[in-house]
Amino acid sequence: MAHQAHSYHMVDPSPWPILGAAAALLVTSGLTMWFHYNSPRLLILGLLATILVMFQWWRDIVRESTFQGHHTPMVQKGLRYGMVLFITSEAFFFLGFFWAFFHSSLAPTPELGGQWPPVGIKPLNPMEVPLLNTAILLASGVTVTWAHHSITEANRKQAIQALLLTVLLGFYFTALQAMEYYEAPFSIADGVYGSTFFVATGFHGLHVIIGSTFLLVCLLRLIKYHFTSNHHFGFEAAAWYWHFVDVVWLFLYIFIYWWGS
Amino acid sequence: VYLLFQALRQISQRTISTASRRQLENRVPENQKLFQEDNGLPVHLKGGAKDSLLYRSTAGLALFGTMYTLYYLLVSSMPKKPN
Repeated sequence: MAHQAHSYHMVDPSPWPILGAAAALLVTSGLTMWFHYNSPRLLILGLLATILVMFQWWRDIVRESTFQGHHTPMVQKGLRYGMVLFITSEAFFFLGFFWAFFHSSLAPTPELGGQWPPVGIKPLNPMEVPLLNTAILLASGVTVTWAHHSITEANRKQAIQALLLTVLLGFYFTALQAMEYYEAPFSIADGVYGSTFFVATGFHGLHVIIGSTFLLVCLLRLIKYHFTSNHHFGFEAAAWYWHFVDVVWLFLYIFIYWWGS
Repeated sequence: VYLLFQALRQISQRTISTASRRQLENRVPENQKLFQEDNGLPVHLKGGAKDSLLYRSTAGLALFGTMYTLYYLLVSSMPKKPN
């Protein structure tokens, strides 16, 4: 094996970037086939390919870091910057949907009855399930911090308990939100209220699922002794992402659920 | 009764059988040895035969899907024959 005179990581040649791009092609053209020709076959193929690529790419990163030791402090710094920039881009993504919400809700048009919520819309009671969901996410923020402290203090048992609790809270949120979606008296097709509500909360829900999955992977790695008390960036990245998801929910709850009802 | 109690204590502290114990032990050092072996394999194939199988399935799926997509895009861009 060639020895490097620098502390950066020159990765082995990998097929995942191009296969990931191919998977993205299949997903997008699959969507087209589904919308226009009512055939979900290509979409399913694309989603399957995407999942396979994601699994193998991230598996390789675990191998490169935990098993091969390539994640020096310099490399970790780059990963930190990367995660921060990614989360920032996601914040801007949500900002767009909040802009759309405020555009329509701050100055409701005559077509809506000049009011918000529009005439005929029966909004969800913010003091019922949405409030419970807020409590769940806030609690999960506490448990993930507890897990982090346990990891840095090398307390394996508590770290596993806390991270498990965090993952369970995440899944509980998703289950409750799915039930809310099913029971809601309005749909995405109910004018601009329906559109802004379901697109904003829908993308948030997707991010909760992504975040919960990331945390679950971290839990499995924690159980398999991958993390040390000094070096556990994968977990930190998951925790940052989770806090971001929590903050987005707080904005959704305050402005869309509460102020908008 | 004392012997019964001792027996119960031993059963509750019984060690897990070898097979399942291996799953709870730290296998990071063996993985470190496996993935640092000087065999010239890239990281995505360094885990063994399972890696190649998974890689070939993924690449096969992606290639087949890409061909399928190009075919369908071609067909969709053709004008429909008038009756």
